[in-house]
Amino acid sequence: MAVSDIAASDIVETVPSALIVLDRNLNITSANRAFYQTFRTSADETEGCLIYDLGNRLWDIPALRILLESVIPHRASVEGFEVEHDFPTIGRRTMLVNARKIFRPGDHDGSILLAIEDVSEERAARQESKRNWQLTQSIVDTIRDPLVVLESDMTIVTASRAFLTIFGITEAETHGRRVSELGQHQWDVPALRHLMEKVLPENKPIESFEIEDNFPGLGRRVFNLNARKISQPGNNAHRMLLVFEDITDRKQRERDAVSLTNEISHRIKNNLQIIVGLIAYEAKWTATPCIQGYKAMQARIGAIAQLYDLISQSSRGRTVAVDAYLREIASAMSASLIGDMSGVEIEVKAEPLEIDPDRAVPFGLLVNELATNAIKHAFPRGTGRLMLSVERVGDQIELIVADDGVGIKDEGVARVPEKRGSDYVAIFVRQLGGTIATSGSEGNGTIVRIRLPLLLVPPGGAERVAA
Amino acid sequence: MAVILVVEDEVFTRQVAEMMIQDWGHDTLSASDADEALLFLRSGRHIDALFTDIYLKNSVLGGCELARQAIELRPQLRVLYTTGNFVTDKMKALFVEGMKCLHKPYTQDQLQDSVEALLAA
Repeated sequence: MAVSDIAASDIVETVPSALIVLDRNLNITSANRAFYQTFRTSADETEGCLIYDLGNRLWDIPALRILLESVIPHRASVEGFEVEHDFPTIGRRTMLVNARKIFRPGDHDGSILLAIEDVSEERAARQESKRNWQLTQSIVDTIRDPLVVLESDMTIVTASRAFLTIFGITEAETHGRRVSELGQHQWDVPALRHLMEKVLPENKPIESFEIEDNFPGLGRRVFNLNARKISQPGNNAHRMLLVFEDITDRKQRERDAVSLTNEISHRIKNNLQIIVGLIAYEAKWTATPCIQGYKAMQARIGAIAQLYDLISQSSRGRTVAVDAYLREIASAMSASLIGDMSGVEIEVKAEPLEIDPDRAVPFGLLVNELATNAIKHAFPRGTGRLMLSVERVGDQIELIVADDGVGIKDEGVARVPEKRGSDYVAIFVRQLGGTIATSGSEGNGTIVRIRLPLLLVPPGGAERVAA
Repeated sequence: MAVILVVEDEVFTRQVAEMMIQDWGHDTLSASDADEALLFLRSGRHIDALFTDIYLKNSVLGGCELARQAIELRPQLRVLYTTGNFVTDKMKALFVEGMKCLHKPYTQDQLQDSVEALLAA
């Protein structure tokens, strides 16, 4: 069947728009099915009726009167004439009316074809979207940190008031441009671009990407950039929210703190170096049998200095993470096992417990003393395994230092340096308020179990800061 | 016997270090800062190794800069750093390639081990 064979009436009945034909007196001569369905009326109620009288004068709408009486007489057609009205049967509706004069052969007065499209839902959605956008923009403008919203092609849709003010640019200068093109291209960083390209397709947010640069009018600044995907419900289009956090002051405070820590560390270590030097100088003039004692003294001063560094590295604000601390001690001790002792392995098994920094030094010295003794005496062949373990047992901490070495052959006879080492162990245990639970040979090696009171900082008193 | 240039702004520490090194049969040259050290390095004096503190007077990384200039002047020179500070990545990046760092406080045994390893390398 050719298109020309299709009857005009069939087309009229099929199209989704409501159609009506009016004569020159504005009486309805015909209407299509879509009209009857949309406005819940029938052919009997409609045909021959003056359009304004239709359905209890529902269509007596001022805007429609203007169209039909003032606009149409002077124009052959009108498109997109918007009529908004409260219909008692179907509620408030927005109609888009297209009107066209049609002339049939012999009919000089002509008729008017009205195509009426109900665009209420579309208009409501558009209105809702506009309200959402205004709300978003007002939130965006309230946030003190500068931020921009980007399209998927990385161009800027909107920039917050803070962004425009801080970077001294206008909205027109940002709209449709890429962030990398702004200012003096401070944001044109390949690593940032790479991360930004992943935010939308992979839903991978950017967390704390730091950029330090000179900004016109601001001077040297450090910004932390955070980005994440934002989606509107029911909408498949995604955008990216990019927030610029000015961390210059915080960064400066951190740098000052690091600088101060370094300065203090430098002074402490230099003073300890002087003490070690004094001992070395004294040792030079002392009798040979005493030299070992001087060297042991130097080693213990070295251990305290090392513990000072390890505490700094394991510190979480006001507490020291005992597991991290023990691992650092083991790592430093392993690094010192060179030459004949390089076959000794140190393992750590520790629960995540926290201790008071004031007790961290005697605790570290205790571990150091026990581990050093084991390394010195348990492994004459230079190979073996030393285990440092810390676990919570009830309301106590159990520290275990165990080796698989040769064991203690004669516990009753200890040479002077070992005796001194044991004395130190006893002193540190007493200082920490603990007890030596067992000490001696078990199986193939030696094991020392020490019970210490739970040195956890009360939950309210702990200021947890990432190490 | 080797000649070691000891650069340390703390006089007592420098003298004790020199005393230890001399006890092992080596000669020492003494400098309290980078400028004094560069006078030796630019002279015709024979020098096998540079033992320098990293924090020199007011320059936090002065020893790193000194070592860099020293290697430019004498590419065969061996370098041993010492510091009381944490060795940061920034510091490591400034180290002359393949060189070691001795942490303060160091004992005569640790210094001896480091110096022997340095001269044997």
